[in-house]
Amino acid sequence: MTTLELPSPKQEEWRWADMASLKAAAATEPRVAGVAPGELFLDLEGPRLLFVDGVFEPAHSRPGPVQVGRIVPDSAHPLGTRAGGEGWMLSLDAQAAVTGIQIVHLGSGGESHVPARIMLGEDAVASVVETYAGAGWANRIATISLAKGARLMRSVRLLQNEGFVSIRDEADVGEAASLVSIFLGAGGMGTRIDGALTLTGKGAFAEMGGALLTRGSQRQECAVSVRHEETDGSSKQIWRAVAADKSVASLAARVEVARGAQKTDGEQSLRGLLLDRTATVNLKPELEIFADDVKCAHGATVGELDKRALFYLQSRGIDEARATAMLTRAFVADALARIGEEDVREAFEADADKWLEGAL
Amino acid sequence: MLKIDNLRAEVDGKEILKGLSLEVHAGEVHAIMGPNGAGKSTLGYVLGGRPGYAPTGGSVDFDGADLLEMAPHERAAAGLFLGFQYPVEIPGVSNVQFLREALNAQRRGRGEAALSGGEFLKLARAQADALGMDQEMLKRPVNVGFSGGEKKRNEMVQMGIIGPRLAILDETDSGLDIDALKAVGDGINRIMRAPGKAVILITHYQRLLDYVRPDFVHVLEMGRITRTGGPELAQQLEREGYGAVAA
Repeated sequence: MTTLELPSPKQEEWRWADMASLKAAAATEPRVAGVAPGELFLDLEGPRLLFVDGVFEPAHSRPGPVQVGRIVPDSAHPLGTRAGGEGWMLSLDAQAAVTGIQIVHLGSGGESHVPARIMLGEDAVASVVETYAGAGWANRIATISLAKGARLMRSVRLLQNEGFVSIRDEADVGEAASLVSIFLGAGGMGTRIDGALTLTGKGAFAEMGGALLTRGSQRQECAVSVRHEETDGSSKQIWRAVAADKSVASLAARVEVARGAQKTDGEQSLRGLLLDRTATVNLKPELEIFADDVKCAHGATVGELDKRALFYLQSRGIDEARATAMLTRAFVADALARIGEEDVREAFEADADKWLEGAL
Repeated sequence: MLKIDNLRAEVDGKEILKGLSLEVHAGEVHAIMGPNGAGKSTLGYVLGGRPGYAPTGGSVDFDGADLLEMAPHERAAAGLFLGFQYPVEIPGVSNVQFLREALNAQRRGRGEAALSGGEFLKLARAQADALGMDQEMLKRPVNVGFSGGEKKRNEMVQMGIIGPRLAILDETDSGLDIDALKAVGDGINRIMRAPGKAVILITHYQRLLDYVRPDFVHVLEMGRITRTGGPELAQQLEREGYGAVAA
């Protein structure tokens, strides 16, 4: 294996990144994952693709219109640029619609790199659910391009028991197009979710958000940037972090409004919940606005569970662990509520519930 | 049913209850009145088991069990209901979800079968109707955006659904207009005026007692009960003030 050169925590964008865990995950020997791939797919009609250690597994897949092949990512991102090789591509013509696409990444150890490209023609519609399970370092890049009026709903759940998942999204959202990407980190792995969404068309909508749940000595983080280049665009970044034990969850989100991108409506909400005093939540909200007729609501808070609410639930007969779980679930609810498809949202909520049962 | 003997308790290191004794039997309604700062709400919280309200002496026997040794949710399962002066808003948790979880947790605690979603909804709707609460509010997050009166009605709906044996209602009449006061009073009578049940009404004013007639009225001052009488004592307090009556 070649020496892994990684970003240094001295660089501002990487100050909370847990590159030591990434390195350790990359160095693990592959072993049997002990997870049946079939169980990682949700019960949805629609195309399915399984990648095991970054290699496409046709036996468990029914790719439909999704193509598998070599992709060379055109990215300057230090992790994203490494994610070349065999990957998957969804290219839809104008007006086409494919929903319920599922991509499962199962790792057994070591490092794996899978690029993805999603290109939707005018008014095309797609929805994709991605699931990460197993171990090792899963490094991914998704390059997304949405033509006028196209709509993409993407839901990503990170459920690896251990190891590290790094995801880099680079998206170009055209006129009146809509991109929604929601992430749930509810496994035992470390994560780095990186995103650069650019609203290049008038009236575009882009959203990237989700919930990161950490415990033990785990570290998860997102570093997301949304750039408005055209007028009348709107964007949302709704992130929730829940940290227990000695874990660290970090949310860095940035909104940039270019000169001339008038009537931009941006919403940024970063909230952290500490389940233990030994845990850490880092928040870094950033706004950079060069236009004068812009609305950018933003909020960033970290706190503990409301003790009064906890006692209120207990006084009605709910024990402390369950009451804590209910309030914590309620805390992440608005992030997961952004998932448009009910069955997918319920599956993600069930994953969050399972995490809570284990953590509390 | 409930026997409080020489109860002492402190909050933030300060003694608030200073040897309070009270006995409540099944079928009785007791009113506890007293000036601000006398320890009325503290009594409710100590009996409910709120963290930070620490008993330091005395005993509380609830149907033969040591109440002070029980966790808050165990007290609820044993039949104790604490009505809050300031019901808490819980964003992200619907009333229906909250109450179904609560009721079924209590039922499990008592070794009874859990209610199905359908059975529960039927019960919840009936109680909401009886209290004049819009059924839509059952679906809303617990107390979020509710007016003061709506929160108190919601407490009564909860009490109706849970069906406790002993209700301790802390200033349930505060913040209520006259219609809501009547609805809440009727609710208390309907739900709790039954053999085998008892109520402790903690209140500052006499007006709720026009609707829920107490069997006993106690004056709580400086952390202990200083006087006990019938309903006429409440009227006298209203007329003459705590200072005059206690003196």
